[in-house]
Amino acid sequence: MKRILHHPSGPANGRTYWRSLGEYARTPDFEEWLHREFPAGAAEWEQDPLSRRNFLRLMGASLALAGLGLGGCRRPEAHLVPFTQSPEWLISGKTMSFATAQPRRRGAVPLLATTFDGRPIKMEGNPLHPFSAGKSDNHAQASILDLYDPARRHHLAFQGKRAEAAQLDAEVQRLRSEATASAGATLAILADETCSPTRERLRTELLRQFPQATWAVYEPLSPGYDTEAATAAFGPGTQFRANLTNASTILAADCDFLGSEDGDLADTRNFAAARRVRKPGDKISRLYVAEPRFSITGSMADHRLRLRAGEVGAFLLELGRQIRGLRANAELNAALAAAPDLPLPHGVNPAWIRECAADLVASAGRSVVLVGRRQSSPIQALSLAINSALGAIGNTLAVQPAISARSTSIEDLASRMKAGAVKSLVILGGDPVYNAPADLSFASLLSTVPSSLHLAAQPNATSAKTSWFVPGTHYLESWGDALAADGSYLSIQPTIQPLWAGESQLEFLCRLAGHAKPIGPALIRETFAARTNQIGPALEQAWSDFVREGFLPSPPRSAATYTVNAAGVAALTAKIAGSSETSATSLEAAFVSSPAMDDGRYLNNGWLQEWPDPMTKLTWDNAILLSPGTAKALGLRNEIIKGILVADVVRATLAGQTVEAPILVAPGHVDFAVSLPLGYGQDELGPVAKGSGFNAYRIRRTDADYIAPGLKLEKTGRTRQLAVTQEHQVMEGRDLVREAAVDEFNQDPGWVKKVGMDGHIPPNQSFYKSPKLDGEYQWAMVVDLSTCTGCNACVTACTAENNIPIVGKDQVMKGREMHWIRVDRYYTGEPEEPEAVSQPVACMQCENAPCETVCPVNATVHNEEGLNVMAYNRCIGTRYCANNCPYKVRRFNFFDYNQRALDKLYWGPIAPKGTEETVKLQKNPNVTVRMRGVMEKCTFCVQRIEEAKIRARVKARDSADIRIPAGSIQTACQQACPADAIVFGDLKNDKEKVGQLRNLPQNYSLLEYLNVRPRLTYLGRVRNPNPAMPGARTSYIPSHGHGESHGSENGHGKPEGGH
Amino acid sequence: MANIFPRWTNWLPIKLLVCAAVVAASIVSGMAYYFTPKYTRVGYQPTQPVEFDHSLHVNQLGMDCRYCHSQVEKSAHSNIPATQTCMNCHTQIKAQSPKLEPVRQSWKSGQPVPWVRIHKAPDYVYFNHSIHVNRGISCVACHGHVNHMQVVWHDKPHSMGWCLECHRAPANHLRPLDQITNLDWEPPTGTSQRDLGEKFVREWNINPPVSCSGCHR
Repeated sequence: MKRILHHPSGPANGRTYWRSLGEYARTPDFEEWLHREFPAGAAEWEQDPLSRRNFLRLMGASLALAGLGLGGCRRPEAHLVPFTQSPEWLISGKTMSFATAQPRRRGAVPLLATTFDGRPIKMEGNPLHPFSAGKSDNHAQASILDLYDPARRHHLAFQGKRAEAAQLDAEVQRLRSEATASAGATLAILADETCSPTRERLRTELLRQFPQATWAVYEPLSPGYDTEAATAAFGPGTQFRANLTNASTILAADCDFLGSEDGDLADTRNFAAARRVRKPGDKISRLYVAEPRFSITGSMADHRLRLRAGEVGAFLLELGRQIRGLRANAELNAALAAAPDLPLPHGVNPAWIRECAADLVASAGRSVVLVGRRQSSPIQALSLAINSALGAIGNTLAVQPAISARSTSIEDLASRMKAGAVKSLVILGGDPVYNAPADLSFASLLSTVPSSLHLAAQPNATSAKTSWFVPGTHYLESWGDALAADGSYLSIQPTIQPLWAGESQLEFLCRLAGHAKPIGPALIRETFAARTNQIGPALEQAWSDFVREGFLPSPPRSAATYTVNAAGVAALTAKIAGSSETSATSLEAAFVSSPAMDDGRYLNNGWLQEWPDPMTKLTWDNAILLSPGTAKALGLRNEIIKGILVADVVRATLAGQTVEAPILVAPGHVDFAVSLPLGYGQDELGPVAKGSGFNAYRIRRTDADYIAPGLKLEKTGRTRQLAVTQEHQVMEGRDLVREAAVDEFNQDPGWVKKVGMDGHIPPNQSFYKSPKLDGEYQWAMVVDLSTCTGCNACVTACTAENNIPIVGKDQVMKGREMHWIRVDRYYTGEPEEPEAVSQPVACMQCENAPCETVCPVNATVHNEEGLNVMAYNRCIGTRYCANNCPYKVRRFNFFDYNQRALDKLYWGPIAPKGTEETVKLQKNPNVTVRMRGVMEKCTFCVQRIEEAKIRARVKARDSADIRIPAGSIQTACQQACPADAIVFGDLKNDKEKVGQLRNLPQNYSLLEYLNVRPRLTYLGRVRNPNPAMPGARTSYIPSHGHGESHGSENGHGKPEGGH
Repeated sequence: MANIFPRWTNWLPIKLLVCAAVVAASIVSGMAYYFTPKYTRVGYQPTQPVEFDHSLHVNQLGMDCRYCHSQVEKSAHSNIPATQTCMNCHTQIKAQSPKLEPVRQSWKSGQPVPWVRIHKAPDYVYFNHSIHVNRGISCVACHGHVNHMQVVWHDKPHSMGWCLECHRAPANHLRPLDQITNLDWEPPTGTSQRDLGEKFVREWNINPPVSCSGCHR
């Protein structure tokens, strides 16, 4: 008997969820594409220079050759190569963890490096440190791949030719004698920001030796406006950051604090904690967001206002006036009195600001206004005054001593270079030739400097222009130290010898200061001793604790409370400038950091190239983001042609500088403004970076570094194909994400069961026998949609843990990306003003798995613990399982991605085979590296489960106590998740959280009516709208969509056909 | 009209079928015998760079397996001893023996001794030594009586079927934990391996995995 399942249609009068503009408009192309798993032509060899016929001919020839020798029959002789002397502590085949930290411009991230036989293979957050609390983000996870990047293989070079170490020694001597002669006036150092106290110490020493030397620090994405405002408000040497531990009402004005603003780990965790609702009556925080580009913070917002970046000042002034009316405050009064009277931004409903202000004031002391770091210092100062009125200073907005000292800016350095004062320039890290403001024309200035030297972990555009290139080290290769964003002191310890004989910044500076190259951690120990004021055995003990735990426990915060200096703030707010009018011919350009590439430093990192942007789902490229309305006004289009997004390429002109780039229509973007993601478009960085994106730095200027009016876009007539994962594997609008307002949830916590079909599922008679689930454990996972911010850290963590290959832009366009976990992002509402919600989807480990019944070779079967397991070695690649998977989570190796170069995939057997040795070093030895023709999918990190089981049994020895303690296994995605949205564990253990969560009324599974009984379920998302807000949506539960069709009448599960 | 096919062709289909059946049967049985690990692996006895004699060290000198294979109880791998381990004794004993020349060379140069690998699990098999030796499976179960081998050979097939034989009926191989490295151990008189094994299965809660994920990840 044939059963035809009628999938329920979307709710008739409820909200519809859509994933792209194509889907929203239901274009015919999209409809056609929807019914194909892969875009048209994906199974054919269209772009292939090698025809199928040629390929067969070649294959025949190679088979004949193989047949001649029969050499493959005998097992080759292999050798076992032991150590000559066993290293201490090392147990071959066991992992070890070392505490370290990844330096970043706004404070380092405390991490643990997992090493296997002496090579680091995976990064995790340091669980002991309160800042990361064991969590990490996509950049921390992906930084391990940078360590092994073959593009780092580079010699010491002088004028492009290989140089010897002795030559560099002579150069350092020359630098020193030249600087000594001029008291340093001819020497300039341009460094990136590492927040390292030891580097700071060396800097002080260098400046003592060469008092007139210039020490400049340049970070393209750290403009320091917030520090300027902090200096005015709290005095020199201070900075502020959000502390969301107790925040119940948050307004983020152009501030993506969950995403691209640095230091988001603690913010995300604290924000998520306040959004977690388990039972009716639980407290939930409220988030207001006013922003130009739809960010993941915007997707978490309860109320989102589209606001141009240049209008944030006017917006905050109005907000300040409203707050002043409700809650008198001297600092705010002074700040507002000094500020110009700017009109309300065009199109902004004053009621929005009024009600938002009222809500912020109502929870004063637990509310905070956050402003993005790219906003100017007057606006930062105004936000401090507002926060002072809200009682946020010291509560929800922490003020602390600055973690990095102010130095000369790159503009000052450039003017010195222009004046010819700089004879020798030492560039430590960074890439100023690529990312310095365009009006400085740094590259040509650099060529006027007689001697220049660049020390960097990876050669880039700057290295090509300097006379010397000195290979640097990755942070996992060298000793170092750094301050975290909260000011705590972190240790950076090497986990591997420098792969390509690099030298760290500290070692080089040490030589420049005239000292011998330091041995081991000697330099760091000196800094440590000075900081801790300890000597003798106490110092020994403190040092070893410091290195082992990765940080120095910070002393209790000094009782000093910071108050806002009204006069200082008022002096700044007087300078708040209004924004100029924008129109279709004069757009506002706002530069943003790319969530994947940051400022461009990860551009040659394949994992991050293939990592879909959390909102646009764009991979391998950046594009100019603009709203659907602006695109229409400018006549620009994104079209889907044969399943591939084809974008118009425009010429963007800003103050005389132009750049050509594709456009991407981004729902929710503010009109007549565009966002330009930085960090792409540098081909020299390596084979992965080649051809990806455009370089937005080319039109970025000193005077308008983030927000620039007067941008013109002209159509070039050309188009570019973009690889978006957004419209792949569409599941149609089937109530996959279920949302409720908190009031609705409080009334009916079990609302999820009444959405869509779930209330009307007829008793099911399964055609197949369910597997026997009698194992000692029953694994399950629950994802809380209320706290998942959609940051995609899980995707990178899974990639690193499970040896997931990257497939390249071409293949992503064909829907062949290999990620085992994807984060679906659904838009709801109108394309101009949508809301968004993210949903991570991995293999559901269905108890009645549809994939298993269709596998002809039993390659995918169920184990007794409820896991749907894959035996790669049995798989013959029929792809029936992927075809039968309702969730489309199975990924197929169309090519030998681990063995062949991504640009030669179609060459077949004539492509050179093999992987770079260093890339192999990164692979997790506990997970099979899959080959061509094999299906794969999420395993719930079965290697970690088995490892834990073995550990428990080894410990038990001859006793019967072999149970794994509750909470001792974390999957890779769960371990990384900074929002703690993913919970994994054993259903049979009452102490495990996962069982408790699965029993909550708001727990539901995707496509429940298919009776596949997923082991991965979701907690419905609870939003907290403010009913007083204009246009507030108080009901999120779709009304009963299918009207009269109830029970078996509506045909689902109804037998049809009769045979 | 004369017959197109002569009379003998009546038997032709049957003859052909019989021939085909014989050929197929011999191919199948030939493959089953010659192409499986029972034939291809068992007995593999390569010449090692050093004539290390297990029977001498274990049976005559009474050394425990774990003196050299020291990490077998802790790790998935059972380590091949470092040159240092050999030199612990051989700086004193037989310090000049020509047979030990490669070991001394390795010690001097820092280059490891290239032992030839005998037992190899495929890359997609995640065998773990520690779980076996800590839960009552002796070395002898998989490696044979290495204590009697002058030159080590591959003694057991190590095929998946062979693994599963034991995973399905572990009682046939379990022994007290203090007898794991005593390769000549026999169940005490009056007890049978079967009874003893079943007792251990009960008391130690032995339930080896038989699903794919137990060994393939």
